[in-house]
Parts: sequence; C-alpha cells; structure tokens
Amino acid sequence: MNLRLLVQTLRWNRVRLLILMAASFGWGMLMPVIYVAFGDAFKGLVDSGVIPAELMSFGSGNFFTLSGALTLGLQHPMTIAFVGVFAVGSTVAAIAGERERGTLEVLLARPLSRRTIYLTVATAVTILISLVILALLAGQVAGVAIQGLSDELDLVQLPLVFVNGLLMWGAFAAFGLAASVTFDRHAPALGVTMAYLLVNYFLEILGSLWRDVDWTQQYSLFHHFQPGSILTGKVDLFDFGLLAVAIGAPVAFALIVFPRRDLAAPS
Amino acid sequence: MEDQQPAAVIHTTGLTKHYGKVQALVDLTLDVRPGEIFGFLGPNGSGKSTMIRTLLGFLHPTSGSASVLGLDIVDDSVEIRRRTGYLPGGIALYDSLSGADALDYLNDLQGTPAVRREELCERLQMPASVLRRKVRDYSRGMRQKIGVIQALQHDPVLAILDEPTEGLDPLMQQAFYSLMDDLRDQGRTTFLSSHVLPEVERICDRVAIIRSGHLMALQNVDDLLARRKRRVSLRWRGAAPELSGIPGLADVKTDGDRMTATLLGDVSGFVRAIASPSLVDLTIEPARLEEAFLEYYAGDDASEEVRG
Repeated sequence: MNLRLLVQTLRWNRVRLLILMAASFGWGMLMPVIYVAFGDAFKGLVDSGVIPAELMSFGSGNFFTLSGALTLGLQHPMTIAFVGVFAVGSTVAAIAGERERGTLEVLLARPLSRRTIYLTVATAVTILISLVILALLAGQVAGVAIQGLSDELDLVQLPLVFVNGLLMWGAFAAFGLAASVTFDRHAPALGVTMAYLLVNYFLEILGSLWRDVDWTQQYSLFHHFQPGSILTGKVDLFDFGLLAVAIGAPVAFALIVFPRRDLAAPS
Repeated sequence: MEDQQPAAVIHTTGLTKHYGKVQALVDLTLDVRPGEIFGFLGPNGSGKSTMIRTLLGFLHPTSGSASVLGLDIVDDSVEIRRRTGYLPGGIALYDSLSGADALDYLNDLQGTPAVRREELCERLQMPASVLRRKVRDYSRGMRQKIGVIQALQHDPVLAILDEPTEGLDPLMQQAFYSLMDDLRDQGRTTFLSSHVLPEVERICDRVAIIRSGHLMALQNVDDLLARRKRRVSLRWRGAAPELSGIPGLADVKTDGDRMTATLLGDVSGFVRAIASPSLVDLTIEPARLEEAFLEYYAGDDASEEVRG
C-alpha cells in the first residue's frame, strides 16, 4: 500500500464523504422517529388484516420492532444510494475511470506495482464505506436516544452490526474494483457492478414480498446483512463467512488479473 | 549520477508484441547507449508507443526480451520506473489539482527529490503564478510542459518521452531542444519517440525507424544524412557544361543556363569538379531525415501522417 496515494485518494473524496456522512447520519436518526410515530399504526393495520404483513416488510426489516426499523434503515434504497457512491461509484472509477481519463498513465509511470495501486484504492474505499456506515449507525443511536428507546437497543451489538454491514458493502466494493481492473472503460464496469447490486437487491426484496419464493433471499448478499438479528442477540457466523468469501473471490481475481493485463495506450 | 549504467541503457532482443492477430512489434533488436538521445521514429500506429509501454511494463511482450538500465522489463518494472522519467503521449493530468500540486503529488509517488523542478520550470516558463492555477485551466501546451517537468524533475538517469513537443509553441520547442542538449552533456540518456522529423534531426544522436512494428533502420543521424541524396541547383554564365562524369551526381537536368541534379556522397569532390569562372550560382540543399524516412515508407499510406 502507498500512503501518499491513499491520502490523495481520500482527499479527492473528502467533500463527497462529508455530505454523505451528514446525510447518512440524518437518515439514521429518522428510523427510530418513524418507528415511534407509525410503528403501532402499521402493526394495527397488519393485525387487522387490511394490509398483508409482507407489504409492511422491506427486505429483512419492518416497522413493528425497533431492530426491524433499524434494519430497514440499513437496507433501504436511500442507504444503498449513500453507501453505493463509494462502494460502486468510487470503485468503478478508481481504475477504469482513471484509465479512460488517461490519468492512470502518469500513475503507472511511478514506481508502484499494480497490486500496490489496487490495495491502496481498496483500502481507501474501505475507509470511506466504513465512515458512511458509522455515520448511519451513529445517527440511529442518536435517534434511539432522542426517542428514549435506549432500553430497547443493545449497544454492545453495534460493532457486530458495523462489521456485518462493512462486509456486505465490502463485497459490492470488491466486485466493483474487480470490474474496474477488468475493463478499459468506465461505463461497462459500472454497468456490470450495478447489475450485480440490483440483482442481489431484487432477490432480497422479491423473497420478502412473495413468501413462496423466499428462498431467493439466500442468494442475495443483502440477506446476509442481518442487523435486526444481531441487535436481538442472534449472530449467524455463516453470514459473516459468506460475505468474507464474497469479498475474497473478487479481490483474488483482481490481484491476479490486474498485474497481468496489457494496458494499451488509451484511445 | 549515482546509478551505475550498463553498456546499453536499453537493450531489446527479438522483442515482439502481438495484439491478437495484429503485430505491433516484430522481432525488435536494438541498443540505446548511455548518454545519447535516441530517436524512435514512425508514423502513428507504427508501434512506437507499444515499444515504450512494453519497456515500462504496461504491456507484456509476446516473445523476446528486453532490459532497461540492466533490469528486466518483466521482473523489474517497478525498479525501472523508479529510475526513469516517462512522458506519456497526449498526457492527461488531474484537473482538480493545481500545476504545483500535481507535480508535488507525482513526485511524492516517485519517491525521489525533485532536484530539477525549479530549473525546468524556469526554462519552460512555468512561473509560480502559473503553477498555482488549476490544471483544468491550462492550455494544451501548458499541460505538455507540466508533463515534461514531471518526467524530468527527479533527474532520472533515463528519460522516455513520447511525442515530447506535441502542443509546444516554437519558442518552447527550442527551449526543450536546449534542455535535451544539456541533459546529454550531463550524461543522461533520452529515448524519444516522435514523428516530427526536423525535431529528431535537430536533437537525436541515433535513430531507429519503425514500420508496422518492424525495425527498418538503426543509424547515427549524421550517417543517415550523409548517405542521402542532396538536391543541387547550379546556374552558369552561358550554356551549362556537361557534368555527367562527376562521381555521385545523378538525375542531371539542364534548362539553358540552369541545371539541377542529385548528389550522393562527397560534396567537396563535387565542388572541386564544378569549379569554373562561368559558375554564377550554386545551391546544395541539406540532406533531410524526412527523405530517408519517406524512402522507408515508400508505398505505405502511413507516410502521409509524417510531418516535416
């Protein structure tokens, strides 16, 4: 890893990071508010049979319990948009984007191995994703405290929620970086990575809304991010292991492919 | 210079690079000697950039081998890049950085003190006020100057420059040529790719001419020029005399008192042979690299891309 490259990469993302951290914090605070304001009403609607329970769920989250509300906040498209800026946008742009712009030339002219460049960028993205997730969790903790719900939340479990979230987003980031080192252009790398993320999301949502095909959720990385279960003391190490494999495979691919690739002059 | 230089700064043996069925470099064998400015000539698409990118480890050779500063281009490419300075063709820089920040950043990554930056900025007329501006506000020529500075600021033993004067105005081109002369005087080696022939003629000691990936010629510039035909024009008082017996003279055309011909070889012998009170005017055009170059490219459409 190269410290100067790492610092510069973080510096280039600092404004984006601050905005996303602020937005994530605010979004995190909102979930306990919605739970307190509408949780009982939603539960009443479901209990009355007016609305099927499936429609009140979203992925693995819901508004009936605090842990469900926090889970929903962590899996909501808004969160995907916030974290995806780095997990998808920055990873895809890191190599393929620089290559398309031509700036990878001057970087590769330095005495840096391609593996060093890859690992440095991966480290930078990990830091950026971590900070956004931490801001989101901090917002949730603040929202819980403001709503006076601290008794319902086991803060000791939050580090595990963070690790679980980081592993899931790390898996998408690793895929994005693998795409980035594979393609010469930004657009196909972005397309492939977005498709990967959307398919995973679709499988998770499909299974949560349509119980007959809830097996599809097992094939989604989102389903292996289970903050609700962790917050209630149920930790499934299989989820952590599977996400680690989902990170390891694209990382290994990138570390093998990138140094062996021919990088012809950008056209 | 701290580094011990090997006999050949760049040495390739049968270097070959294919992209699928396209042969970008074919069995290229050459040496670049320490302290020389070596011109690598060819039109666009002839394999110049492929050669440079292969030397720097951006591309992997299909077959053959090469070393730079005695280091293998496949196994030691990081170390090679530590000791060289590289100017990519049509350089792209980080637009959000100022010129000074871009140079700082690239030099930090290089990991070697920027001992020449001040001198280079002065010679290429990049004062601090200009370096404070964002790269996005730079003209093409200013970007090129930053490119040259970033390649040379750490005083590399070997500079690899791809089309170095592209976008530079004539004044800056002259400043660049002078810089190259000084680097040579200081024992630095430059490998320079170009299709601007007067530039190569002006600054290079030796040239390699490449055509469709094949090495067509590898010679001293002076030797190459000495073997070129020169165009001579003569004007006589009265009718032009018969000159057909002079060694090296050919294509003689006479039109009244005027005569044109081509001359190959010794000029002094020719001048002695034509010395006569009736000779009014004599013009011997200098041999041009362009002619040699075009000869190698005769019948090749690529020659149309060569600028004189």
